This record gives sequence, structure tokens and C-alpha cells, in this order.
Amino acid sequence: MADPKNKETDVTSVVKGKEISRRQFMTGVGGLGIGAIVGGLIGGAFLLPDQVIAIQASDGYLLVDTKKCAGCTSCMMACSLTHHGETNMSLSRIQITQDPFGKFPDDIGIAQCRQCPYPSCVEACPTGAMHVDKATGVRTVDAAKCVGCERCVNACPFTPSRTLWNFEEKHSQKCDLCKDTPFWDEDGGPDGKRACEEVCSMGAIKFTKELPVQSEDGYETDLRTGTVWDKLGFDGAPKSGGHLG
Amino acid sequence: MASGNGYSGKILKVDLTTGEFETIPTEKYKSWGGGHGMGSAIFFDLCTDKTIKGTDPKNVVTIMTSPLSGTLAPSVAGRCEVQGIGIQAYPTGWFTRSNFGGRFSTQLKFAGWDGIVLMGKSPKKVWLNIVNGDVKLQDATDLWGLNTRETQEEIWASVEPSKKDDDWVNLGTSRDSGRTTQRPAVLTAGPNAELYGPMAALVHDAGNGAGQGGFGGVFASKNLKAVSVLGSGGVAIADPKALMAARLWSNGYSFGGHHDDPVEYVGLTSFGSTPGRPLAPMQDTPEGVKSRPQGCVGCIRSCRGRTDTGEGNESQCVDFFWYDHHDVNANGKVTDASPRGADAIQLAGVNAFAVEAATLWIEQLYHQGILGKGKAIDSNLPFDKFGSGEWAEAFINCIITQTDIGKELCKGVAQAALAWGRLEIDTKSGILPLQEYGLPHHYDARTEVEWGYGSLIGERDINEHDFNWHVYWTPTIAGLFGVETAVSAQRLSEIFAKKMIPYNDPMAINYSDEGIYSESMAKTVAWHRHYTRFYKQSMAFCDWGWADFVNPYGPEHEGMTGIGENKFINAVIGGDMTFAEGMEIGRKIWNLDRAIWILQGRHRDIEKFAEYIYTTGAQPGTTTYEAPYTMPVFENNEWSYKSVAGRILDRQKSEDWKTLFFKVEGWDVKSGWPTRETLEKLDLANVADALEKVGKLGASA
Repeated sequence: MADPKNKETDVTSVVKGKEISRRQFMTGVGGLGIGAIVGGLIGGAFLLPDQVIAIQASDGYLLVDTKKCAGCTSCMMACSLTHHGETNMSLSRIQITQDPFGKFPDDIGIAQCRQCPYPSCVEACPTGAMHVDKATGVRTVDAAKCVGCERCVNACPFTPSRTLWNFEEKHSQKCDLCKDTPFWDEDGGPDGKRACEEVCSMGAIKFTKELPVQSEDGYETDLRTGTVWDKLGFDGAPKSGGHLG
Repeated sequence: MASGNGYSGKILKVDLTTGEFETIPTEKYKSWGGGHGMGSAIFFDLCTDKTIKGTDPKNVVTIMTSPLSGTLAPSVAGRCEVQGIGIQAYPTGWFTRSNFGGRFSTQLKFAGWDGIVLMGKSPKKVWLNIVNGDVKLQDATDLWGLNTRETQEEIWASVEPSKKDDDWVNLGTSRDSGRTTQRPAVLTAGPNAELYGPMAALVHDAGNGAGQGGFGGVFASKNLKAVSVLGSGGVAIADPKALMAARLWSNGYSFGGHHDDPVEYVGLTSFGSTPGRPLAPMQDTPEGVKSRPQGCVGCIRSCRGRTDTGEGNESQCVDFFWYDHHDVNANGKVTDASPRGADAIQLAGVNAFAVEAATLWIEQLYHQGILGKGKAIDSNLPFDKFGSGEWAEAFINCIITQTDIGKELCKGVAQAALAWGRLEIDTKSGILPLQEYGLPHHYDARTEVEWGYGSLIGERDINEHDFNWHVYWTPTIAGLFGVETAVSAQRLSEIFAKKMIPYNDPMAINYSDEGIYSESMAKTVAWHRHYTRFYKQSMAFCDWGWADFVNPYGPEHEGMTGIGENKFINAVIGGDMTFAEGMEIGRKIWNLDRAIWILQGRHRDIEKFAEYIYTTGAQPGTTTYEAPYTMPVFENNEWSYKSVAGRILDRQKSEDWKTLFFKVEGWDVKSGWPTRETLEKLDLANVADALEKVGKLGASA
């Protein structure tokens, strides 16, 4: 194990030729997270030369196109339904926030877990409850090991935190790409299906196995251009004669 | 953990007079399903004098969810039903209903409540704050004169003072009180709604409206401004796997299941519609404006939108249409006048249908030189700018401030006409399109009779498009484009006959000159009332998604209705209710409502349309959608689509039709009152007793 005090320097030093802050590294600016560099390798964290910890990348990521989202929150209900057997937005591992009076596209935000290449939620966990699943790379919680400290909730660099406190079952939880969905007949996970993606009637959520290019504001995802969406007029209404025109 | 299989288990009863709260166990009313059924049953029990006016403190108002609210049932989960004695209809404010979408019913379920019952009148102006099980009445003095947006933003800040942007907020004081990222869902009346009560709607978020009935005015009469609800709980589901499977099965019938390759369909439909269409933002968004489709909780078709200007957010259909054609007539195309008109009614909390009828009428009066500056009906509204956003805003403002012609219009459109001495003359010619009970003409009783009859035998414009998309819009649009309909009239008749359990009448949708007075049409209207009372108003299936009769993605265009509804109901609440069983509950609810109207004074002799329906064929520009009006007819032994525009109703034949209808329903044909036999078969002996007590029980045949 690398000396934690030197962890930041050691991690930075792996990214050769780039001077980037720890926060930038954690958010994977420019897609350069250590996961990307070592992506595709099976197994958990492992050591590089010079005692640097590397963390296995996730086998998949949710892409969301905020401009395509209709704010119906079906994804939130599907998430809680398949994981917990009830529809409960407060237990959903994807959150849709919206301002009814806001101006498109800023009226809706989609807060999905990015399966960070360097997951600060995993780093923060003192018990290993929040961990990287060896089979899939999914960052997920072993509820049996969770002591409820909520360091993972606070460690998530995004707002709202993608890790959430399950106040009914008293453990933290987060998006596991539907790896464990006891209330769904389909197989989930990176090689299966994702409930939010399946129910989204706008096609605003897609799954990819490639680490998306991302900024501090999110993924640059366009699931509209080149699809039937181009003809629907949302990118600029056509001249209209109204309902009788 | 959520428990109760769709139901939260309790209904909040608020005595506004004393400020006390009680809990009604939902179990007591579960046999009524939810929503409207429960609301009617609760009203029947708690409003002991049904003859009072809607502004009487003894009026009982219910705001009810369905067990499917807040679940994955598609285009179901977002609706909410409001009921009570209304103040909009003329001359009698019937016990009535209105319904709105968005996320209010969801949050109410998540907070642990199946509904709210409002009784009495608060001594002070208040708003009701519900956060999970914590319920309180708070001072609304500073909110009273605010518009609907201002009110909601103030309440959001009040309920979640520590909320920053989209972050999680803890509800309550302990770590495990529950958390949410969501804003409170607020249902509010407009500014000083007592000034325009009969025209006053209730609004939630930017554009969800309970528009009909004057419930904004009823709220104001109780000194109640708004209800806010926020919850961190959930809805228990009897069979989560079945619910998820049903939702994914329904994808096959929706754009969502085909969004990479949707069907082109000439006409209008419901569940299978493209998002943001039809009759929604795309038609009324000014050129170049960018937007997204936006939907209520759980919706699969998202019928309205939000724009990059922020104008017209969440408005759709008549929210825009009351003004868009005036905009186009004046400006050659849709401009920002249309969304400004929509926003004017949303912010003010004014019923779109009422202002639509009023605008058509006063435009005619203006052109006839009867209304205007210095005219018999004096008005300083800027008619030289008719069709502009400025005119729309000035018009709505005059209603809500009782100024200019708003001094009379604030009391209701029929009431204004009465005050100006024009009610009889203008409803005879039809330039004042108030079709029944002083209520605005929506679809035409002369042509699309299931709409007109249903509104007449009921108590308000039905606003239920189950037949309308397929028997009017689709053949009419196809005709305008000069193309064949995807579904022939023959095939359409087969689909409807198959799905309209228990009648299954092959002539159900025969809108010929003979068919509209037939027993088949009586069964059609009965079916429609029963279906909507249970499935749409009690279980909350949204009118814009259901019924799904004809679906472009379905096998031979057949939609999900008859199968789909109960897939979702049974997955959520458990059991194996059949479609027919649901229809029977709907018949029971319909009979209870009928009894309430009878206690209010209903008799077949007063169930008549406005005079123009019997005397005048539709004149273009006076009502809505009247030219052309192409419908399925069975004539000369075959089915076809034919324009029936310009038709009038035969007075005697429509009276004879009422007799047929009462027979189908098991009501006394002389009065239109349910009989004891009919009511007792529906387990409504107590209702029969109540009618008998006042001498209004129908005589058995």
C-alpha cells in the first residue's frame, strides 16, 4: 500500500507531463483518470511500480443527455422499485432535479453516478463497505460492512451526492448499474440491463462501456443529434399557424 | 418502509374552522378504488346538506390520489383528483370534479397520505404545510395576493430554508427522518382568488391546473391559499417484478419503445403519441424557440414542454389555444403572444376553457359594435392590439382585479352575459358558446354526441378524449391532408366494440344522424361514464395516455385498453381485478354522483343544452373544432367516415335518447333518478334511503 501521505503526489506522478489538481484528477478532467490509463484490467486495486495504487475502471457508465430528459422521474422510480421493491425517490440512485419555471436547458439536472475512475467515495470508506466490485468494476456498497459514518456521502464531489443514505435500511448506497436488483426479472449490471435506461421513454439515458469524456459540469452527451429527435422541432420550433393553422 | 400495496393507509382530514387534524383510515373507503370514487364517498358521508353553495364553509373538498400515484404506472402516476361543490356552473353549482397532473399526488403518497379532506373555513388566511407526517396550518397573509409562481417560490423557500440548489435536504431533525432532492409540490389558488372565484383554478408548478369548477374560489372561500406537500417515503408495490414487466411491456405501445424509429401516424392518438405533441408546445412555441418535452411523474408521452425563454412552461392544449388563433390571425403566425397568453392564465390561476369561450364571445361583440370604448358594454381593453400578448395579459388582469369588463366576467361567463342582458340571445345564436350549465363548449354536442351527452347527464364538460382522438380528430385530420386513415371506419368500429366491455355493441361509434339517438349510443355514453369514473378519475389513468383504444404500435392498431389498465392495477395493489370488475366499480361511482346531483336538484327536465345546439348549425369561428367534423357513420349498410359539421340536435329525438339512456342505467325514465333496485344492486342502499327521504328516489319500472 502506498503511503497515504504521499498518495496525492504518487497519483499525480503517474499522469506524466500534466500538472493537475487532486480535484481535477478525481473528476477525471479530459477523461484522464487513472482508471482510463489502466482500464480493462480485471481485479481490484493493484500496485503499479513505486507503490502507486491503481483502481480498476468500471465496466460501464451511464450517459445522460439532460436536454432530452422530460423530467418524468420514471428513472428514479424504476431504480428504487428494482432495488428495494417500492417506488421511492428518496432511495433512488439517480436523481432528477428541476425548476418548473426554469429556462431550458437549465430547468432540469440529471444526477447520475459517474463511476469515477478515482472514486472518492471508495477512498473515504473506512471499512471497505464502499468498494470496487472485482467482477464488474462497479463502485458499490456492501451494506453488511457499512457502519453509517456517511463519509462516502460527504466525499462525493458532486451535488447532489451520488452516494446517498438509505434512511430506511440504515446504510449508504449508490448506483451499481443494476448489478443487484432483487425486484427485477432481468439481469442487471454492465453486461445486463439498467432499469433507468429501460424505462426512459425519451431515450435520454444510455449505457456505454467506454469512459466518457467529461468536465466538471458533466458528460458532454448528445443523444439527440442524428436521431429522430432532429425532426421533432425541439432545437428550434418551426413557424406555426397554431392549433387551427 | 412503505406498506399497504399502493395505498399509504391514511387520509388527512383538516377542519379549517378549528385548525384540527384527523386521520381517516383509507381502508374505510378502499372499495371505491381511489381518487374520485373515494372523494365522492367521503363527500357523501361528510357533507350532510348537499344543497349548499360551494362557498359555504360546510362544503367538503377532497384532494385524492390513487394507489397508482407515485408508481411506475405509465401516464398514471402524476394525476390528482379534486372534488367538492363547485361555483362555476350556472345556475346550479354542481358537485363536481377537476383533475391535475405534475408531481403533487406523488409527493402526497410519499408523505404517507392517500388524500386530503378540507372542511370548514379558517378564521385567518392560511396555507397547509405537509412534510411527511408533520402537518400544520401556516399564516398566508403575505401569500394571499401573490400569483401562482410567487406563491410557490415563497413556499419552497419556507419549507426548505436550508436547501442549496439541487442538494439533498434532511426532512425532520434526525439523521433518519428522510431526505430528498425534490422541491415541495404546491397546489395554489391565484392572487386574491375570491375576486374571481367562479373563474379561479388551482395551479401546481408552472402549468398543471385543476381548472374547472372554480376550486380556486372555493379555496379562497375557506381562507385557504395553498397546500404544500413533501415526502421522503415510498409506495409499496404488491408485485414489483410484475410492475416493472408491465411498464416494459407498455413500452411496446409507446414512442419510448420506438424512439429510434417511431411510426408516422396521421391523426391523433394517446399512449402512442410523440412527445411534445399533439396539441402542445410545438404548435404554440414561437419560431426558433428551443424547448424540451416535459411530463408529469411517470409519463411516457410528455405532452407539454419547457422553453429556452421560460415562457409557456408546462402549458398545453387550451392553455395556449384560448389565444393562439387570435395571435395567428393578427400576426400571421404564432408569436410570443401565445405563450404570454398561456402564462397569463397560469400565473393568475384562471380557467382556460372559461376565458376561451369568453374571448370568442367578446370578439364577436366587439365586431358587432356592442362592446368597446363607449359602447353598450363599455371596455377600454386595447382591441386595436387584439392578438398581442399585451391584450391577453390586460384581459386576464381585468378579470382578476374586477376592472373593466372583468367587473362582470369575474363572476363567471354566463353570469356576465346575464348581467349584460345577453345570455338568452347569445346562447340562442351560439356566439356565446356555453353548451350546458353555463359551461364552455369544448367538443360539439351536435356532432360528437358522446361528449355532449356525457357532459349534460353529468355536471361539467367531460374533457375526456377516449373516443375523441379516434372518432373525430383522426378522420378529420386525414381528410384535411387528403389521405386514407390508418384505421378504416369498419376496423375502428370493431376495435371499440371489442374493448367496450360489458356492452360490446357493434354500433357503439355510429355517429350517423340516426345513430346519435340510438340505444347503442346510450350504451356508449354509459360505458364512457363508468370507465372514466373508475379508471381515469379514481385510479388516475391520464386522459392524454388512456384509454388506449387505437395505437399505431399495437397489433392491427389495437391498443392496450381492456388489458393494460388492470396489469398495472393488479401489479400495484395485488389481486386479480378484471377489466369488467373495474367497470362495475365505475358504474357504482357514477350512480353515487348521480344521487348527489339529484339531492342538489337534478331532474331530466333541466338536462337541456343551450338553445343553439337545437337550432343552429356550427358557424366557423364561434365555437371550437367545428369545421369540418368527420366521424364514423354506419349508413347504407356500411361503415364510412363522413363530415357531420353543421348538424343540429333534434330536440325531441334527444329527449327520447335520454329515455333510452335512463333505461340502460336502470333509472326512472320520468325523472332520471336512480331506482332503489339499481342502487341496492350496487350496494348503495344508504343512498337510496337518502333519496327517498327527500322524495327523490326513482320509481321502479
